[in-house]
Amino acid sequence: MRSIWAVAANTIRQAVRMKVALIFVLLLLILLPTMALNATGDNTLKGRLQTFVSYGLSLTSLLLCLLTLIVAVYTITSDIERRQIYTVITKPIRRWQFLLGKLLGVLSLSLALLVIFAGLIYTIVIYAPHYLNPTPIELIEADNEFYTARKALSPPEPDVSKEVAEARERLVKSGDIGQIYAGMSSREIDQQLTNLRKVARRTADVGHQLLWEFENVRPRDPNGSLFIQCKFYVSVTPPDSEVYSQWLFGDYRAYKYATPAGGRLLPIRRKDPIKTIREIEVPAKLVADDGYFAVAFLNDPLNDTPIIFQDDIKLLYKADTFTANFIRATLIILCRLVFLACLGIFTGTFLSFPVAILFCIVIFFTATVSGFVIESFDYLSSETTIAVYSYTIKLLVGLLPQFDKHSPLNYLVPAELLSWSVVGRVVLYIVCIKSLLLLILGLIVFSFRELARIIV
Amino acid sequence: MEYAVETFSLTKIFSDWWGRRKIYAVDDLNLKINSNEVFGLLGPNGSGKTTTIKMLLGLLHPTKGKSLCLGADATDPKISARIGFLPEESYLYRYLNARETLDFYGRLFRLERRVRKTRIEALLDMVGLKAVANRPVGTFSKGMARRIGLAQALINDPDLLILDEPTTGLDPIGTRQIKDLIIKLAQRGKTVLLCSHLLADVEDVCDRIAILYGGKIQAKGRVAELLQQTNKRQITTDAISDEAIEKITQIVHRENADCQVTSPMEKLETFFINTVATAQQHSKQTSGAVSTTKIGDFLAADTIAENILDKLVSTPPAQQRLAEPPKTEPIKTTGTPDRDADKQLLSELTEPAKSPQNIEADGAIGTNQVETDVPHPKDQVKEDVLEQLRDRPKPQNAQPVQNDDTEAGESGDA
Repeated sequence: MRSIWAVAANTIRQAVRMKVALIFVLLLLILLPTMALNATGDNTLKGRLQTFVSYGLSLTSLLLCLLTLIVAVYTITSDIERRQIYTVITKPIRRWQFLLGKLLGVLSLSLALLVIFAGLIYTIVIYAPHYLNPTPIELIEADNEFYTARKALSPPEPDVSKEVAEARERLVKSGDIGQIYAGMSSREIDQQLTNLRKVARRTADVGHQLLWEFENVRPRDPNGSLFIQCKFYVSVTPPDSEVYSQWLFGDYRAYKYATPAGGRLLPIRRKDPIKTIREIEVPAKLVADDGYFAVAFLNDPLNDTPIIFQDDIKLLYKADTFTANFIRATLIILCRLVFLACLGIFTGTFLSFPVAILFCIVIFFTATVSGFVIESFDYLSSETTIAVYSYTIKLLVGLLPQFDKHSPLNYLVPAELLSWSVVGRVVLYIVCIKSLLLLILGLIVFSFRELARIIV
Repeated sequence: MEYAVETFSLTKIFSDWWGRRKIYAVDDLNLKINSNEVFGLLGPNGSGKTTTIKMLLGLLHPTKGKSLCLGADATDPKISARIGFLPEESYLYRYLNARETLDFYGRLFRLERRVRKTRIEALLDMVGLKAVANRPVGTFSKGMARRIGLAQALINDPDLLILDEPTTGLDPIGTRQIKDLIIKLAQRGKTVLLCSHLLADVEDVCDRIAILYGGKIQAKGRVAELLQQTNKRQITTDAISDEAIEKITQIVHRENADCQVTSPMEKLETFFINTVATAQQHSKQTSGAVSTTKIGDFLAADTIAENILDKLVSTPPAQQRLAEPPKTEPIKTTGTPDRDADKQLLSELTEPAKSPQNIEADGAIGTNQVETDVPHPKDQVKEDVLEQLRDRPKPQNAQPVQNDDTEAGESGDA
């Protein structure tokens, strides 16, 4: 263990003294405060904070990822290429110990920098209200919609398979698939039908009602608030681009099942602009004791258009503190760094520096957009192409971690709760499986390769 | 008897990209190096010396055959803890300074902090880099890097020292010091595998040599046996009178043999060292910063370092070595200025020989003259030594006494 630490300490010295880390640190030290001062967003406090966290954290993550890759690859390849490894590996140290020492060094450095810069971002964010002088309304808005970790509940996807099957049957019976579906594969037609039916379920004609029911709603503070997030789409745009709406919040079972559940219901009337995300705040007391909560929406007769909730609504409530959420978001970034360090070490064991770094960066960027890549396969038209791709590229991309799927920004910016279970899953997949696999591969390669250059 | 290094049909074939066998770098090598032996592996460039060493240490995998160091695989930490290795060039971490470099290697050997510290200071003193110990080794000249490389190989007080071209890039003084060091280590029971194409180095220090060419051993044996011209005799005397020479010539002629009388030439190495030592004596004050000028102190400090290392090794072998100091002493005492050259020569001739070839070698270089020619610098050296000895707690009692007692150099470089 002591020799592992010796190698680790040496690796950190290398990164620090060769000024690899210095450039990245300077960049961040300059850019982060600059961003904090210049981030405007929509000019409210919340908007500025969201912009700053979004850019600041993604920049920190990007730079630290690159730094980790570079240091990991460099420390291994330079030792081999400059042959310092001759004198190191002939000392009483096993090869796996050497490699683990290198990994430990790289990770300690990355961790230290991550803590420093995440801490810097956190400090800037927490002290922002002191130097930005927000209005009290802005402050409340920021408190409710940024300085918190809200659990987001989405209603379950409606099951429309039956309707889709009926619709398809009708199409087949009519013997004419019509203009819309001409030239589409049956798979695509199904997809289209499903989407249409789903939207139909979320559409309210004038005077009609939609109902969403949520189970297991457990706000952290029973005297706090719930937030219903929605976005109105219309088929006919009203002259002022705003729509009227009537809502009922609370224990709807009393109406629905005609049982005296003793629950409370709160009616609200609103007028909101269309096509922007709106949040309606209601008291958390409305939640029934068993965690039941319903939202009923009535398309106000004052409107002249059907209203479509294309993205469905979300129920948000404060479930944890901003600090805890921020720490978990940092942990997710740390998982990325662990993976990249293992990747760098692995490639460094058998490739030269330029090749290894190129390879790693390609992998890194693929992993950053892998969710998008995988999704895009679902939109391929030809079925044979799908088959070919899903067994080759999709499989390969599937091996990579999906950095974009669990981006911490997706949680921090809308102040959504990043639960421990999500973090746990990321740790399991990225660190325990994929990183470990790479590390083991690296250990095997390194244990069996010849370390000396061939000189005759 | 266990060999320090043993190879069995060791073969290394380098293949080209297609896997076709191209070059036999080492071909069916069977090498047996005894414990407590200085073994020289000679050969021209590309003869497979370095490849052999790399296979011994596990840096290259043999195509065929196997090798043992100290009776086992050298990659076993238990074995590699007892090996010191200096590669063909000192590949150092450029961003570390000299002290950190040694500390890093000391940590790899899992040495205690206290032990590490003492050894590092002793080694820095020994290789004469104390003044620049806080400079990054990336800024070192080749010779200085070589010295750090050597210190690195000695930090664990190895039983088997493998040196690949140890003297490349070193000035003659440094070269000489490495040779002295090798001999001293051998006296302490260590085994040294020396790999070089600088024949003079090998001739001076090696007990046995093997000459490698094309990956095969072309000749091997004791240096004395290989080089001794049995059909000739050489007599070296002081500057005696012409009459005496005449008499000797007559005696030789009576034996029906031919006789040539010349004044022996000083070796260039000896001359060089003396010249530098004198120059150093004159500019003592200003030269403290440059490592090469500290060389005068080096030899003496070297011995101290050795003794410290001795004491640090608290294993039973240390007790055996208690009997040895008189053997290692001469290196310091050769500087004793008041004895005259005759006595030295005499003592050299009468010295109980460790092995026959040693006398041969000693006689050949005539290193005794080195010390006696310039007594003053050595005097200075001795005082430095004494001062340092006083500063050091452990050898304090033993050393000065021995310094006084020993008679003038048993042998110059034995």
